[in-house]
Amino acid sequence: MRRITVLLLFLCLAATTSFGGGYQVSLHGIRNIGMGLIGTSLSYDASTLFNNPGGAAFVNDKWSFSGGVSLIFARGTFQAKDENYQATLKHELNTPFYFYAAYKPTTHLSVGIAVNAPYGNRLAWQDDAGTDWQGRYLIKDLSFKALTYQPTVSYRFNDFIGIGAGFVFATGTVDLNRSIPLQGANGDGTMHVKGSTSNFGYNAGVMIHPDKGWSIGIDYRSKIEMKVKGADATFEVPQSLSTSFPNNKVDVMLPLPANLDLGASYEFGKNKQWMIGMNLCYVFWGTYDSLVFDFQTKTALVGRTATPSLYEDRLIERVGAQYRVNKMFTVRAGGYYDPSPVKTNYLNPQTPSLDEIGLTCGFSVYPTKGLSIDVSFLYLMGAKRSGTYSPDNFAGTYRTGFSIPGIGLSYSF
Amino acid sequence: MYIMKKILFIILSLALFASCERKIDKFNASANGLDFSNFVAVGNSMTAGYADGALCLSGQQNSIPNIMATQFKTVGGGEFRQPLIGTNDGVGFAQVPGGIYCYTKMVLKVNVDKDCYGTPTGTASLKPGFISNPDQATLLGQLFAPPSVTGPYNNMGVPGATLMTLFYPGYGSSMGNPYFTRFATSPTTTILHDAVVQQPTFFYLWIGNNDALASALAGTDMLLTPADTFAKYYPLAVGALMSSGKSPKGVIGTIPDVTSIPFFTTISKQLPWNGVPLTAAQAAQLNTVYALQGHSEIVWKEGLNPFVYRKENGTIAQMEAGDLFLLTLPTDSIKCRGMGIVDTTKHPLPYIYPIPGKYVLDKAELANIKGRIIEYNAVIRNTAKTANLALSDMNQYLPQFESGMVFDGVQMSTSFVTGGMFSTDGVHLCPRGNAVAANFFIKAINDKYNCSIPQVNITNYKGLVFP
Repeated sequence: MRRITVLLLFLCLAATTSFGGGYQVSLHGIRNIGMGLIGTSLSYDASTLFNNPGGAAFVNDKWSFSGGVSLIFARGTFQAKDENYQATLKHELNTPFYFYAAYKPTTHLSVGIAVNAPYGNRLAWQDDAGTDWQGRYLIKDLSFKALTYQPTVSYRFNDFIGIGAGFVFATGTVDLNRSIPLQGANGDGTMHVKGSTSNFGYNAGVMIHPDKGWSIGIDYRSKIEMKVKGADATFEVPQSLSTSFPNNKVDVMLPLPANLDLGASYEFGKNKQWMIGMNLCYVFWGTYDSLVFDFQTKTALVGRTATPSLYEDRLIERVGAQYRVNKMFTVRAGGYYDPSPVKTNYLNPQTPSLDEIGLTCGFSVYPTKGLSIDVSFLYLMGAKRSGTYSPDNFAGTYRTGFSIPGIGLSYSF
Repeated sequence: MYIMKKILFIILSLALFASCERKIDKFNASANGLDFSNFVAVGNSMTAGYADGALCLSGQQNSIPNIMATQFKTVGGGEFRQPLIGTNDGVGFAQVPGGIYCYTKMVLKVNVDKDCYGTPTGTASLKPGFISNPDQATLLGQLFAPPSVTGPYNNMGVPGATLMTLFYPGYGSSMGNPYFTRFATSPTTTILHDAVVQQPTFFYLWIGNNDALASALAGTDMLLTPADTFAKYYPLAVGALMSSGKSPKGVIGTIPDVTSIPFFTTISKQLPWNGVPLTAAQAAQLNTVYALQGHSEIVWKEGLNPFVYRKENGTIAQMEAGDLFLLTLPTDSIKCRGMGIVDTTKHPLPYIYPIPGKYVLDKAELANIKGRIIEYNAVIRNTAKTANLALSDMNQYLPQFESGMVFDGVQMSTSFVTGGMFSTDGVHLCPRGNAVAANFFIKAINDKYNCSIPQVNITNYKGLVFP
């Protein structure tokens, strides 16, 4: 009963998301989250399938499974420039999850599948009066989610080097609402777009163990072009304009950027009780230069629009450490810096991306051999950023803060 | 199990702690010593909240100074009383021999397009039309009924007022301007007097538009206030307000150019001045008609020909590049009756049919009016400097909207209807346009007096309403 109460409390507290740089979500393993999201050089469990396929064959167990979920509790406020106006993010829950399963038919070969949600963004704005908010002509609410399914093969030549690659099948859904500044007796016109799509990519990596205790990993996850073909677009506009806004199909294009990750870690101490590591993640955000809506039925007022975003490539720096207290208990801590790929004059309420410093901690409890209960906690400092989305002359200060608890299970035998 | 509960408890506490609201400091409003407790606005229709061709309740509620007064409330502003009219359909009027003729405001209506024989063409277009057609007695009753709010009125904007009429005793009499008569404190008072006796602590003066515009609206340059008269009386008006007792500060505005206003630009974008294509045979025929009727000075040629219009001095002439059609031009007469060429409804012989001068502002008139506006604005800018007042240079702002400006994702331009800024009369702003203008005035005050009055959220105000 207590547990149910606690779970319900979680749901009530639940909030929104779009955190860190852009719309990439890096919550891919509760153990990794606990260590500042590092993972490219680690091969502790099945999450290696995603973090670096080159390391999967270094996992010793014949079978290994890992699954978990993060609960994103976010808060966000917008203060309009030069105006006595504030809006807040509506509280909605976002729960990125992951599941990994790996099997080793031989000691040198590993096959597995990774399912997770590496990209997503979900938010809804409301103003303090609870009415339509000031930025509604840019975005009212948005839900964008990409899931990836990655069958993976990994091969370890020897104790020194392993390679691996996965084929990535990605599915995406988008659902957004926006107001149109054409008013009738009932107020603003509106546009609703809803659709889904899928596409392919790959994930390939190499892991080497150059010296005792040392591990180095390099991983590349390709860009995936998410082109939602023929999403449903519905308009509500004044009657006299309805012929200019026919209910429509729209192609929406949004790229999921490529990532190049480099990681290094070192195990030391009695029975290698200690591990410290770092990751450098280069995100090829530059590929996202505009959000394109291409309506299939074109009129004088509805056509192809490209909303400029002009993201820039960014480097994320991560550090983390792990300490095995005893057979039953391991603790972790870490931190990272995730700079926003958004230029100040393109800061947009659709993705209010701020420079983030994340602090993380976590632990695992091993009730029986092979099974662990993993817990992580990620806290993003309440960043604040002022900017203008210049194409729409929408200016203000954004402040967000996130606390993201996560829980997972790992089992191997 | 105990451990699990502990774990959950820890997570929950951390989540609660960390997910507390992310506050940003609210806008820090400051008057920097200015006193907004009694804000009085003086001006013309733009100030009164006149829009859509009439004075109506919703227009007054969205008037520029009323929007400003709402923002002043954050820095100690007081009540802002307006002489509210008791009708949302509004009352507009035209001077006719023996009195005035009243009508309501206009709204956009769906208009079934017809060809010259009255047959629907199967298309429809949006056109402004009167919202309703009550009888004259009703409209006159609404026009002269005492305002629903008692005075004194902080908004002294009177549609039609010029700089000169601020000083006219009797402007509020039964022989004066009904828009002032309806709330003047006495038949013999002046607008300026009624403003000054309120002893404003802060004032707004945006006047002079009609000194130039009244002429332009009538398609002439004959009614312009002379520049030296303007130069003499403008500082007098400002001086009267400043010496009213509470040594008020204030903001004054310059006059927009006529070519920034859709009333003067819309038709000319659709209908070229030389929109009469002729074959050689047609041209010869027209030349015969014009010669027979004593106008051999008009020569028609093969190809594109200019329309013919009647000038202010009674002569007729062919239009030239740069001449402007006004929004009131009866385009049906152009299309179906041959206005600007020959009246095709007259038989057996077509009759010459120049466009009446009131629908055309020709190059020379335009140059005169533009020149005068430059002179007025020089006076206004100079007065702002010498009297140390805030200046909202509307003349500089409006041209930026010719190619379009965007605020909070709302594209606004000086285009008629589609621009989302001007009301259906093509001269006055719609509420959202007024909000943008109010922000210009507020910015001017903030810049001049180093205070922080919050600007208004323009998305809270309506643009043009489509049927």
